[in-house]
Amino acid sequence: MPTLKHIGIIALNTFRESIRDKILYNIIFLAIALTLFSIVLGEWSVFDRSYVIKSTTLSVMSLSGLLISIFVGISLVQKEIQRRTVLTLLSKPISRASFIVGKYLGLLAVVAVHLTILTCIFYLMLAVISASPTLSLLTAVYLIFCEMAIVIAVALLFSSFSSTVLSALFTLGIYFAGHLSNQLLEQVRFASRMGEMDATSTALFEKAAVVIHAVFPGLYRFNVTNYVVHGVALPDMYLFWNTIYAVGYVGVFLAIASWWFSRRDFL
Amino acid sequence: MIQIEHLHKTYRSGFLMKPKQALKDVSFKVEPGQVYGFIGPNGAGKSTTIKVLTGLLNYDAGKVLVNGISPRDVKSRTFLGYSPEQPYFYDYLSGRELLQFYGKLVGLDGKELDSRIQWALELLHADKDWIDRRLRSYSKGMMQRVGIAQAILGKPKLLILDEPMSGLDPMGRRDVREAIQTLNRDGVTIFYSSHLLSDVESISHKVAMIVDGKIVREGTVDEITESCGVEYHVRTRQAILAADLPEGVTPAGHPQECVCSDDAARDRLLSFCLSHGIAIEKMDHKRPSLEDILTEEIARADS
Repeated sequence: MPTLKHIGIIALNTFRESIRDKILYNIIFLAIALTLFSIVLGEWSVFDRSYVIKSTTLSVMSLSGLLISIFVGISLVQKEIQRRTVLTLLSKPISRASFIVGKYLGLLAVVAVHLTILTCIFYLMLAVISASPTLSLLTAVYLIFCEMAIVIAVALLFSSFSSTVLSALFTLGIYFAGHLSNQLLEQVRFASRMGEMDATSTALFEKAAVVIHAVFPGLYRFNVTNYVVHGVALPDMYLFWNTIYAVGYVGVFLAIASWWFSRRDFL
Repeated sequence: MIQIEHLHKTYRSGFLMKPKQALKDVSFKVEPGQVYGFIGPNGAGKSTTIKVLTGLLNYDAGKVLVNGISPRDVKSRTFLGYSPEQPYFYDYLSGRELLQFYGKLVGLDGKELDSRIQWALELLHADKDWIDRRLRSYSKGMMQRVGIAQAILGKPKLLILDEPMSGLDPMGRRDVREAIQTLNRDGVTIFYSSHLLSDVESISHKVAMIVDGKIVREGTVDEITESCGVEYHVRTRQAILAADLPEGVTPAGHPQECVCSDDAARDRLLSFCLSHGIAIEKMDHKRPSLEDILTEEIARADS
């Protein structure tokens, strides 16, 4: 129980710290501006106005969530170390794992609030322009949240042992690898079927693609914008299994981050 | 309260991970109820030792126990209060908000938390208007007081303070000294490092001196200074020729003044004066201060 209480206190403080961060407000205002701009895009586009607005807004949510996760998330632990506030905090009867989990939950709450604000604006906008604000859009927003939950865990993992710039680069690397791993595997298999490579290269590339696909979190699973916008039904239990998938990766990343953080010396 | 035996710590830094031995076979013990001063020059290993005790640094070898538990175990910090050197805090909070945050982390809440914050602020003479201002506007002295206040909020059995008097004006130093003594009277064991040796001499029950990662002296202030001998400065009514001075007595730059290196030399000089009818005008005994001894130890380590 004391551990849960400590996690809660650290999470609340992290939330308070993050909402005072100017970067956060810049990202949120930019996201709101882009969301509103999607109305103009819808008017200009040759495609269906409702489709453009919905897909643009969901992309804005995903991108702004990513920016918050990376730029605010990475600096959270690094700031504690550089400003030496971590010395006083960790001298209390708090495990380093509680510290990491508390920081994680604090930032997750920030992303949740951010997505909630954008979702409210999104629905309001759709209602005003009569562009069928269906409840199924919430599925896409929820999966963006699950994706950000993984990205924040990755950002915290890297920031527990690396510098701010490197952590940002590593996290972006994992993000792109996670989105492209499925396509990479498909492309390698396609090239193999078409006989474009010799047998040795095919085996080698396929193994590499399989490893990348297996190791990196498959973030492409959380992008269901096209399904939702076109009203295509998702498979049964899709949300449930992808929630389990996200929770599993978050657990693994936080466990590694906590283990690494526990080994650190604080000078 | 604190038990350290044969503690070793090596830092590795730079691209080639060049090792630097920060602590070399450090051993000492702090008994319950003591005010224990830890002194030494910059870079001697004081903060390293303190960070090992608070679990902020891992160590290579040796045995370390805090409240009977290894600092690697979170439980060792249950009854521990710590204020780092030049404490830094979340500057977007006010002093009171910060204390509320740390108070909750040590299990306080509601009215108990408020009364404990009030008690800590009064003890450190920090119950002023500035406590409700943002920490970014605080002076070094205000920050130091808040740092000590957060350390004592949980009523710890052991209080570890790293340079608690640095950055304080004379009034502030007096307040912190008094706070340390009050807490100690209430049964808190205090282990602290300091550069201000006069303060250490005045409030410490025991002192350890660390130079270049090694403990070079340990004991009460009297034990340490007495172990370095006592000099006697004697002024006579008549001049004594240097050649006539007994063994262990040397001239002091004035024909009527001389210095006895120890008790035996003093007795020989007194006998000499009695037998030659020389009157003693004045005799002072001079014990080396902690500063003298520390300076000597630093010079020895450098050589």
